[in-house]
Amino acid sequence: MKFIGLLVLTLFTLSAWAQEWKVDYAKSQVGFVIKQMNVPVEGGFGRYTVKATFDAAKPELGVFQVDIDIASIDTGSEEGDGEARRPAWFDTARFPTARFLSNSIKREAAGRYTVSGDFTLKGRTRPLNVPVVLTPQRGGGWLVSGRATLKRSHFDIGGGEWADPSVVADDLEARFKLLLKP
Amino acid sequence: MPQRYRWPTIGLHWLTLALIVAAVVIANILQDMTLSPQKLKLYSWHKWIGITVLFLLPLRLLLRFLDPLDHRAGLTALEVKASAAVHGLLYLLLAVVPLLGWLHSSAAGFPVVWFGVLPLPDMVGKDKALAEVFKELHGGSVYLLLMLVVLHAAAALYHHHLRRDGVLARMIPGLHKKT
Repeated sequence: MKFIGLLVLTLFTLSAWAQEWKVDYAKSQVGFVIKQMNVPVEGGFGRYTVKATFDAAKPELGVFQVDIDIASIDTGSEEGDGEARRPAWFDTARFPTARFLSNSIKREAAGRYTVSGDFTLKGRTRPLNVPVVLTPQRGGGWLVSGRATLKRSHFDIGGGEWADPSVVADDLEARFKLLLKP
Repeated sequence: MPQRYRWPTIGLHWLTLALIVAAVVIANILQDMTLSPQKLKLYSWHKWIGITVLFLLPLRLLLRFLDPLDHRAGLTALEVKASAAVHGLLYLLLAVVPLLGWLHSSAAGFPVVWFGVLPLPDMVGKDKALAEVFKELHGGSVYLLLMLVVLHAAAALYHHHLRRDGVLARMIPGLHKKT
């Protein structure tokens, strides 16, 4: 009985390892680069939650969900942070959270995957394909990193006087680095 | 003996003055502005203008040393020293002021892309505390530069109206020595 109990516990633990991962937020980053007056400016988000279920043996069964607290935005300047929360930009009062939820993961090459899903920002949902690199970590775990290009106009981010893409570019690059631990 | 500096020297002297005035005026406008596309444009223009002053400096120094006009003519030994000190400090600040602005921009995490075309390297990494220090130093150095500009202009007017030695006329086409 003892042996069976141990076996069940071990199997449960193993399957849990293969299923949902913990995220080391201190070593993870969710950010973006956007050109302002043709100057690439980096920004990021201080608060987000990640739910990651992934098994390299069955990548297609994996699911990634990232919820971003938009009000935690860091645009590089205080006045920029304040402006970004206003209705013309993210309108955080009405749309506090952005979400990426994957619906398929496809292996492209060793360590390289395409994670496809829906990205919801400011109440608008669009399909998004993200090329992702998964690097196995010592002691188990993964470093998940990737970049995806988005258009802010697709999500009505920065309209009105800010619409001019020669001041703030329409294209922006979302960048992330997530450290998944067992 | 030529009575005037050559035209590139004269042109770049007054262009530098115009650029400094424009940069200072823009900086003052920026202080009262809330964030807007216009403000981002003005920020960029302020940086582009400052970097232009910095880039013109080596050319201006080269032209100055190649100019055949003897700018010490008619000055006492003390005046030569005072003139050298003020001009030396002016040139130093014409480099230091934009360099501190560039450092401030780098430390604040905003790279400088000259006229939106030429990306300049970041002088330091992003560091908010350091950015505040460079911001203060940039502002302080501007005051020092403006004080020296006033002193420089006062000396030129003194030479023109009281000494009547043609020093000001060397830098202004069409102006003649008072008699």
